[in-house]
Amino acid sequence: MRQVIHIFLKDLRHYWRESAVSAGLLVAFAWNEMRGWAHDDELAVGLGGFFNFGFLSGLIVALVPLAWSFLAVRAIQGESLVGNRQFWVTRPYEWKKLLTAKVLFVLVFVNLPLLITQVFLLARAGFSPTQHAVGLLWMQMTMFLFFILPIAALATVTGTVVQMILALLIVVLYAVGMGFLSEHIPSSGFSGPVDSVTAGLLICGCVFVILIQYARRETTKARLTLVGLAGTLLLILVFAPYRTFVDHEFPPINSGQTASLQISLLPPDKAFRETAAPEEDNEVQVRMPIRVSGMASGSVVIASGVLIRIESNGILWDSGWKSPGLFVFPEQGQSQIDFALKKKTFERFQSSTVKIRVSLALSVFQERNTREFVTPDGSFLLSEVGHCFAEGGYFGRIHCLAALRGPSFLLLKADMTKNTCPLTKGESPRTPGEIAWGWVQNGGSEPAEFGITSVKTVNLYLSSTNIYPRDWGLGICPGTELTVSTPQMLRREQIEVQFEGVHLPEYRQGEAKVRATSVVLRSR
Amino acid sequence: MKSALRTENLYKQFWRVEALRGLNLAVPEGSIYALVGPNGAGKTTAIKILMNILRATNGRAEVLETESTQLNQKQFTSIGYVSENQDLPDWMRVDSFFAFLRPFYPSWDLSLENELVRQFDLPLKRKLRNLSRGMRMKAALASALAYHPKLIVLDEPFTGLDPLVRDELIQGLLDRAEESTILVSSHDLAEIESFASHIGYLEEGRLRFSEELTTLLDRFREVELTFDSPPPLPSNAPDTWMQLSTAAAVVRFIESRFDPERTIAQVKSVLGEARNVTFSPMSLRSIFLVMAKASRDGM
Repeated sequence: MRQVIHIFLKDLRHYWRESAVSAGLLVAFAWNEMRGWAHDDELAVGLGGFFNFGFLSGLIVALVPLAWSFLAVRAIQGESLVGNRQFWVTRPYEWKKLLTAKVLFVLVFVNLPLLITQVFLLARAGFSPTQHAVGLLWMQMTMFLFFILPIAALATVTGTVVQMILALLIVVLYAVGMGFLSEHIPSSGFSGPVDSVTAGLLICGCVFVILIQYARRETTKARLTLVGLAGTLLLILVFAPYRTFVDHEFPPINSGQTASLQISLLPPDKAFRETAAPEEDNEVQVRMPIRVSGMASGSVVIASGVLIRIESNGILWDSGWKSPGLFVFPEQGQSQIDFALKKKTFERFQSSTVKIRVSLALSVFQERNTREFVTPDGSFLLSEVGHCFAEGGYFGRIHCLAALRGPSFLLLKADMTKNTCPLTKGESPRTPGEIAWGWVQNGGSEPAEFGITSVKTVNLYLSSTNIYPRDWGLGICPGTELTVSTPQMLRREQIEVQFEGVHLPEYRQGEAKVRATSVVLRSR
Repeated sequence: MKSALRTENLYKQFWRVEALRGLNLAVPEGSIYALVGPNGAGKTTAIKILMNILRATNGRAEVLETESTQLNQKQFTSIGYVSENQDLPDWMRVDSFFAFLRPFYPSWDLSLENELVRQFDLPLKRKLRNLSRGMRMKAALASALAYHPKLIVLDEPFTGLDPLVRDELIQGLLDRAEESTILVSSHDLAEIESFASHIGYLEEGRLRFSEELTTLLDRFREVELTFDSPPPLPSNAPDTWMQLSTAAAVVRFIESRFDPERTIAQVKSVLGEARNVTFSPMSLRSIFLVMAKASRDGM
């Protein structure tokens, strides 16, 4: 342990400036967060539009991890593992102690200040840090595993900060490439177990690289491991059986089972047809209005995935599974399914009627813990979320601060005829029976979300989903009566419906209008 | 005699370049062993394998009776390694560099450290990055001597240093030579000659010879023979004769296995009776040049 402390203290003496900058940025981050609780939207701070609150906020949020990365890289490269000219390799260093000293350094100068900041923010937001100890530790662990570990692995295979920056650039390019590729791989949004496998591989790969570098300084092997890891993740992305994952996660309902909802096709949406598509768009947008029925009272269905297959004259087009994130409520009555086809594909279908098969991957929820709630004036505690206050006005909302994470699923329901928000000029009063909904869904059961801040901002809005098209941004004002519930998942299922004899051009977005530019010269 | 350092059939390949081709080296315990050879001979590679800085492609190396690949914290408390191109923690001052290293070595001798600082005239308060090349080398050597290492390995320590610094370094080494085995690679043959006890000549990754320095100096002689009339160049000259040349009635060559009686007998049998025979001792530098030239000429 003496050697560990000795190396740690040496690093402390050497990198105190970097540590101070990192700590300073974290203080700025905490200050910025607290300002953000009151100023969620952009707010000018006196240096003109460029240096507005949003810009400063984004800058600080970006600089904090950069400072941590720099600090970790400097500390690791202080005893560089690359090359054969380092003085320390022929000194009585024990690799395990050296590694422990570096881990200690990162824990003390990255994780500990982060923990202190998170505890401070929680306390300032009115939460008890001790009640969220597990979540705080979870945040530390995820930050270490998914941020510090990859950075450390790169630092062990690079000799200088410049090399590290180049390596990071390569990683960024790789990530962008993977993102671009995933957009072009059908159904890749449904990763199923792929995410867990990817995370596991990433962590194991990074740990292996770090260990092999500290134990044996085999840089070539370590670099090849990272390249191999990147290649493996690419292969997984390309060849993962996404459709099997969907079928496994959302089992198709049997003929004897009743689906959670029934859908039927409605006539085309005129307003949508009259909207001109962007001229340069290479795709044709299609909107299928649907009638929704058969939902149980108190249920909520989320269409987590939709798969469209169009057939006509032996031609088959398949959209692959997409994630529309469509919420459907029993009172809603109708909704819509949007998708896009390449222009050339669309042209092949436009001359005749087509058969459209729609598969929906549905997550079925049932409202639980339902309670009536009158929005108070000023600050109040919304037990499902955290500390909140209602912002008045037409676009009023409930602005909340939540500890460590937003609610898994929180549903708000309001009778809009009883809405207390003032009507805007020219707005007609709400019609009886007009129901508005609002929801926040973060999913997962982890004790905390990944990130730096321990206090999450949650904004609750309402939308009137039985008005077509949706009327977003209905206000919640002090006095507004709400029904609050926390829906629990009942099951997942997959349904398929078929629409015959559809004339696709009727459902497309209006064609692009040719914009003519002219100059009129007038003479007097 | 026990060897402090030993390699057996050591190979090292960097992609397509063979740096070492079956190196068999043995450095006797207590010796000051000079590893010499032209640039690219493989001296630094051999030393880096011995110090477990590089891995051998094949073969094995042993340091203080430990496989070089197994060298760890314990062994390195008895080894002092200094290289001309070593990256030191430049941000440290000389005194903090010593202070940092002290706890790593149970045998660190503070009075010896002070003595070395005085002897090398080291500026304790100056950062390593601000030291001249010679001062850096002296600081590195002092940091490698202050704990009484059993083995001192120096890779080209004298390159680019002025004569005064070289003398100081050598003196510093010699003052502690009794308690250590020293392996030093160098081009500076004149300096090596002044203090080495053994010498190994490495060329193209192979050890051409390895022996005590006195033996080497004894077996090399510049031979000059004067005849009454110019003799023809013999076709059956012994292999040990190098750089054989004639100028009028004078024949010159380098004898690499000098023995007064045997050499005179060989001269008589190959060239006949010479009117005058002189045997001149050679400097290490001259021997090195002869060896290098012979190798280049494919002898």
